[in-house]
Amino acid sequence: MNPNQDIQFNIYNPVITYEHRAAYDMIVSQLQEIFPICNQGKCKALEVTDDPQKQKQINDLMEKVEYFSDSLINITKVFFDQLYRAKEGSSESISHSMAKIKIDMMERSLLERTCDVRWWALEKAFWQCIEISNASQGKEAKSKAGAKTASASACQQAVDLACTRLEDIRSSYTLYRDLVIVNAHGIVVANSNADRKHLVLGLDVSDEAWFQHAMQTKDGTDYHVQDIAHSKIEEQASLIYATAIRADGDENGDVIGAMGVLFDFQGECQIILNDYLPKAANGDMLDGWFSFFTNSQGKVICSSDQHFIPFGASPELPRSHRHLSKPGESQVTTGIFFGNRSLLVSYHTAGFNEYPGLGWTSHLVLPIHAIFERASDSKVFGITPKELMSSSLIPAQNRQTYQEIQRNKGDIQLISINGIVLATDLGKAGKSFMPIFDQITETGSSTTGKMELLLSEMSADMLQQNLQALTNLSQQAIELIDRNLFERAADVRWWSTDHVLWESLQAKDKKHLEAINKRLQIINASYTMYRDLVVADASGRIVANSKVENHDKLMGMSVADQYWLRQGMQMSKTTHYAAQDVCDSELENENTSLIYCSAILENGQRSGKPVGVLGILFDWENQAQPILAACLPRINNEVAHGGAAFYVNRDRVVIATTDETHFPINQVVNIPTENVNLKDGHTASGLFSANGRKYIIGSSGSHGYREYKGLGWTAHVVRAID
Amino acid sequence: MLYSIFHLGRNMIGVPIYTILEIVRSNKFHQVKGAPEVIDGLINLRGKVVTVINTGIAFETHKVVVSDESRIFIFKNNAELKELTDIDSDDDMSPDNIGLHVEKIEGVINVEKDELQPVPANMAHPFYQHVVRRGEDFIIILKPSKAIILNSTETVKP
Repeated sequence: MNPNQDIQFNIYNPVITYEHRAAYDMIVSQLQEIFPICNQGKCKALEVTDDPQKQKQINDLMEKVEYFSDSLINITKVFFDQLYRAKEGSSESISHSMAKIKIDMMERSLLERTCDVRWWALEKAFWQCIEISNASQGKEAKSKAGAKTASASACQQAVDLACTRLEDIRSSYTLYRDLVIVNAHGIVVANSNADRKHLVLGLDVSDEAWFQHAMQTKDGTDYHVQDIAHSKIEEQASLIYATAIRADGDENGDVIGAMGVLFDFQGECQIILNDYLPKAANGDMLDGWFSFFTNSQGKVICSSDQHFIPFGASPELPRSHRHLSKPGESQVTTGIFFGNRSLLVSYHTAGFNEYPGLGWTSHLVLPIHAIFERASDSKVFGITPKELMSSSLIPAQNRQTYQEIQRNKGDIQLISINGIVLATDLGKAGKSFMPIFDQITETGSSTTGKMELLLSEMSADMLQQNLQALTNLSQQAIELIDRNLFERAADVRWWSTDHVLWESLQAKDKKHLEAINKRLQIINASYTMYRDLVVADASGRIVANSKVENHDKLMGMSVADQYWLRQGMQMSKTTHYAAQDVCDSELENENTSLIYCSAILENGQRSGKPVGVLGILFDWENQAQPILAACLPRINNEVAHGGAAFYVNRDRVVIATTDETHFPINQVVNIPTENVNLKDGHTASGLFSANGRKYIIGSSGSHGYREYKGLGWTAHVVRAID
Repeated sequence: MLYSIFHLGRNMIGVPIYTILEIVRSNKFHQVKGAPEVIDGLINLRGKVVTVINTGIAFETHKVVVSDESRIFIFKNNAELKELTDIDSDDDMSPDNIGLHVEKIEGVINVEKDELQPVPANMAHPFYQHVVRRGEDFIIILKPSKAIILNSTETVKP
């Protein structure tokens, strides 16, 4: 809504609360009662004195009172208008960012998926299986139906191995419902979901678009995403990432088959859509609140309430919301949604980095009454309404109204006292004026007092809304890092199962160890978020790493006493992993290190004895910084005054920050204890003073993501209010 | 009798209503070169020239500065005071209208004669006339005739 629009306040507007309607009625009727009192004063002036100068003075005073009363009636209207607009404006802005957060979160996750499928398609077990399957299918076509060939058992072995590796991937990356590899004829030859193996293996998917597109990909860097659609592979609608499997695992080799990974879109969406929606005490979502995504055709692909907004439906949204198509385009309107007058917010995806997204739109619907619900008193946050009213949280025009009310209050007080002065000068005759001026004083302070109360209510609401916005941002910051680190935990678990690693560690000769170096280099070249990957043998000596510049320094280095190595050597399953919190490590020179590790198990088994440990050094600062920057509080796309975001570890030490001056890295953070001592997944907000400034803060504790349990970190987003 | 109240730091000070000509917002002062610091300057009140004293400096607390809440108490001159028929006062005001610049006014209170108490010895001050108790608060009643002689001299020390 445009804040410069003319006054729209209307007492009959249904959004006006009963209390506000009553307050408005009382203020206006009290002010209107002043006019007959002033008339009475003017008449009395003629009655009690013959002095024309005194008569004029009294007359002038009465007219001034009339003027200020009239002015206060107008200010009351302006004030109520501003009160509602401020709440509406701030709710719109928060809802808009919520709709955006949701689709951004989804897109970031989907970008990771594009990397996954391209990398996995190079796996030896898969291309070997496809080659054997293609060959055996060709032979079967030539031989009699049902006749067993000598290669059948080799084929079965290859299929079993491929299935095992697909299962390993799925148990490391739990975001997938199934992963399949398909031969050149479109027949599914292996899958990851053992429960569905009997339904999936042998399926002909040659007529499915994702398979056809995958077979046409240019090279190993190309992929195809099949937007939500039905596939024979599963009953529910699928989001499939696919790419070709190439001969010899060569990125530029001939296409021999395809790999399709079926992302748990519904499960992932449900987490994202339900996030940030308010819940009742019993945990149920509040009525009238909806969050859903629509695809480029405007059809619902997932919603927070399947009953009202089922998959495939076309929700009753205004045309302007249905036709968003430009990246980052958005629409905010009010309208009726399932019988409720609601605020409707839609945001069209802008993709993430180089990933353009699939043209989805995020929608958020909330009941209008939720915008105008009363917040708690600002005093609970230790700030007076007056301090709050002059803070930068309150829009300039509301601050002006506050000052105008204060000024009128002062003027009416002045007129009353001057009236009493005049009446005193009139001696006994003047005494009859006293009740008139008493009434004016009383009305003046009562009405302006009521308005001040409403102003403090408004400022408390603004504070509450801003705290909520900061809390949402901090929640976004912790969730984004949790999700990012979940991916790292998945990476390390999967890579540690690579056959080159365990084979070479068991062989122990120079040639084999050189093979690990090469393998680590290939892996790291495919990812941008790791600074180095290192492998240590069971004695705790580093035997290989990916970063050539560090090679001489690291080879033979003993890391036996380092946390990540000790943790890794205690693992016995491929599903295990550990993380060493951000700290200085001798593995690196300049930056602090965040190391994820997983055991390399004997003979590549799923459980067994470790023969070494894989440690991956996450490029922490460079990955955390953009996430924090994206979560900074903004006003009209500009970072709010004194805005900062930072992560704090369980020792209250800042581990990443956007404001190195006020919240520096490696220092214990100077924010209230209740904001740092958060239980997993809990949030807190409030005010605090630091660095000679007053801040508001929203904080969220990590609650991990899927199997990643988090490291007890908290995310904080602040902005200065003075 | 009615008293108009203003704030001076943490204290509340009352002046008899009958001594007041008018109370106005403080705005701009015409500076007078060479005038003592206690004089804020001159103002024009419907043709009358009024000298304004800074109450904070006069009481040696802190300088009162112009704000949304600051006001000027303009006192009647001798002639205007004598015109009052119903008031029995022995106050001798200044021959000119004098203003007191105060940081905030509070309102008007009615004080009965028997409520006026002498100023305790430890609070004695040449400008103070009485003390009135209002609930938990004390209101100091000012003797304007004393306070407004400041205009022609330097700050009067108690």
